[in-house]
Amino acid sequence: MTKLGIAINLDRCTGCHACAMACKMQNNVPSGMQWNRVLTEGSDIVDGAVGEFPNLSRTYRPVACQHCENSACLKVCPVGATYKDEEGRVLIDYNKCIGCRICMAACPYNARVFNWNEPVRNPDFNYGDSRVPVRPKGVAEKCTLCKERTTDGELPMCVLCCPSKARTYGDLDDGNSDVSKKIRENGATQLLAELGTKPQLYYFG
Amino acid sequence: MTKTSGAFKVSAMVLAVIALAGIGTWIYQLMGGLGVTGMNNGTSWGLYIACFMLFVGLSAGGLIVASAASVFNIADYKKVSMPAIILSTICITLAGLFVLVDMGGVHRVFNLLLHPNITSPLFWDVCIILIYLVINIIYIVFMTSKNGDEQARAKRLAILSRIALPAAILVHSVTAWIFGLEIAREGWYSAIMAPLFVVSAMDSGLALLLLALAGLNKTGVFKTEEKLISKLAVLMMACIAIDFFLVCCELLTMAYPGAGGAEILTIMFSGATAPFFWFEIIAGLVLPFLLLSFAALRNKVGVVVFASALVIVGVMCKRLWLLLSSFVEFNVQGASGVIAGSSTSAHASGVDAFALVSSYMPTWVEIVIVVGFVALGILAFMLMTSKLLTKKTDAKLEDIDAKERASA
Repeated sequence: MTKLGIAINLDRCTGCHACAMACKMQNNVPSGMQWNRVLTEGSDIVDGAVGEFPNLSRTYRPVACQHCENSACLKVCPVGATYKDEEGRVLIDYNKCIGCRICMAACPYNARVFNWNEPVRNPDFNYGDSRVPVRPKGVAEKCTLCKERTTDGELPMCVLCCPSKARTYGDLDDGNSDVSKKIRENGATQLLAELGTKPQLYYFG
Repeated sequence: MTKTSGAFKVSAMVLAVIALAGIGTWIYQLMGGLGVTGMNNGTSWGLYIACFMLFVGLSAGGLIVASAASVFNIADYKKVSMPAIILSTICITLAGLFVLVDMGGVHRVFNLLLHPNITSPLFWDVCIILIYLVINIIYIVFMTSKNGDEQARAKRLAILSRIALPAAILVHSVTAWIFGLEIAREGWYSAIMAPLFVVSAMDSGLALLLLALAGLNKTGVFKTEEKLISKLAVLMMACIAIDFFLVCCELLTMAYPGAGGAEILTIMFSGATAPFFWFEIIAGLVLPFLLLSFAALRNKVGVVVFASALVIVGVMCKRLWLLLSSFVEFNVQGASGVIAGSSTSAHASGVDAFALVSSYMPTWVEIVIVVGFVALGILAFMLMTSKLLTKKTDAKLEDIDAKERASA
């Protein structure tokens, strides 16, 4: 079995938001939505520092869908629009979604965004990869682990575009993959691991 | 008051206009998308879901009284079975409507039948609500049917009520599980949700029944003895006490570890949902309980009506604090937070489009739709009571009572 995932080296993350922008471009994500966002941890403002001078720290944490093995969103979807594919990605069938938003209530990571209105894009055209389906109003959407790219053997856009190479992508089920090695060697952890959702995104550093 | 009286016509017309305004606003919402509501990516459920929770409860309360009357052979309650079952049918229909109006892709709703996911509590709820609605309708048919002799009719009702009572309890338990099974939401994830929802259904459902009976007494469509009203008020008082007890159990469990639950308590005690929380505790539980605990006050219909109204508003407030408190803070925190995606933030730029803590305020669209649906419910109640609560039905029911007592 394949279980795709990403390990993120937080020491390498400079908070440049390139991954968030790359994701938005690739996936045609409309205005007012993001599938991938970079949080400044422990701060109220972007790029804020934590602590009292001179003991200051600043850390960033990119957050997107965690592609949980035990995904809370998948279980609660009444129409099975959210599903886990054979590669271990959590995906949404936009034609099935009835827009009830129970998945948004169920996701502990606030990874999902909803098309509250008819999607608006600036500039006024579909700028994403032509392989990515355009979502109508009234459906939920989120990171697909760049399904259209990764199915064809390409890297997810956030991994490809990270200027400091903080992200490692690969098969978690293959112990020799780069991502598995990174996780093993660095003792990488999962976000909100205590909830038992078994995310396939790992963080270390 | 008869069906043709002027006051009836005027009020029916006014209600119909309000209901039409609600339906028109729903069409407006369908055209624009849910962006015309105050909901956003942080607080992804709002007034509609709170009303859904309230109306499932109001419905379950009515059917519990009606079916308990038959299951436990409580002759007094049988007299009010018909108004109770009418209320129950209307409220569950409204609850279903509130789910539909909340859906972003209501035109794909048939996917619930084509591609059901049996692990989803929402799917369980759709099933149980449909079953429950059917039971309600069969109940009305059985109660008004003229087929067979009295004995056979009473027997049919007795059998149906044995299915209806567990269904009524289940319908509200399943609604509770939509929330109680979400590990992501600290304030929801609790085994107490189902019992708490059932007992809230009992007290608010009884309160609505009492309001309806008092109203019917006043208009003369259906007469209920004042003694029975105060008897039902005692039952409501007991439910209020259990409700209060369960809320306290939950609060203590949330507060004691001083961890995530305590943060949500801060929001409830002194934060955004505090007005709803304190109204429910003081005016929705303690005050009606105190009012009804004095026999002298309980025997006054006016006091019972006042207490009932407080209980319903209190339970609505409970739905709001229960639902919304758990949306305020995000599990994974940090600037710039969650991109709101709401209509207002769509026109914002930069970090203004984000929110560190989530906020929600219903828009006029949500309020008009809710008011319109409630008006539709009252209108349906007026029409159904004037059609189904004839003296004949009343007499027939008492007849069934007498027959059952004789056979027992």
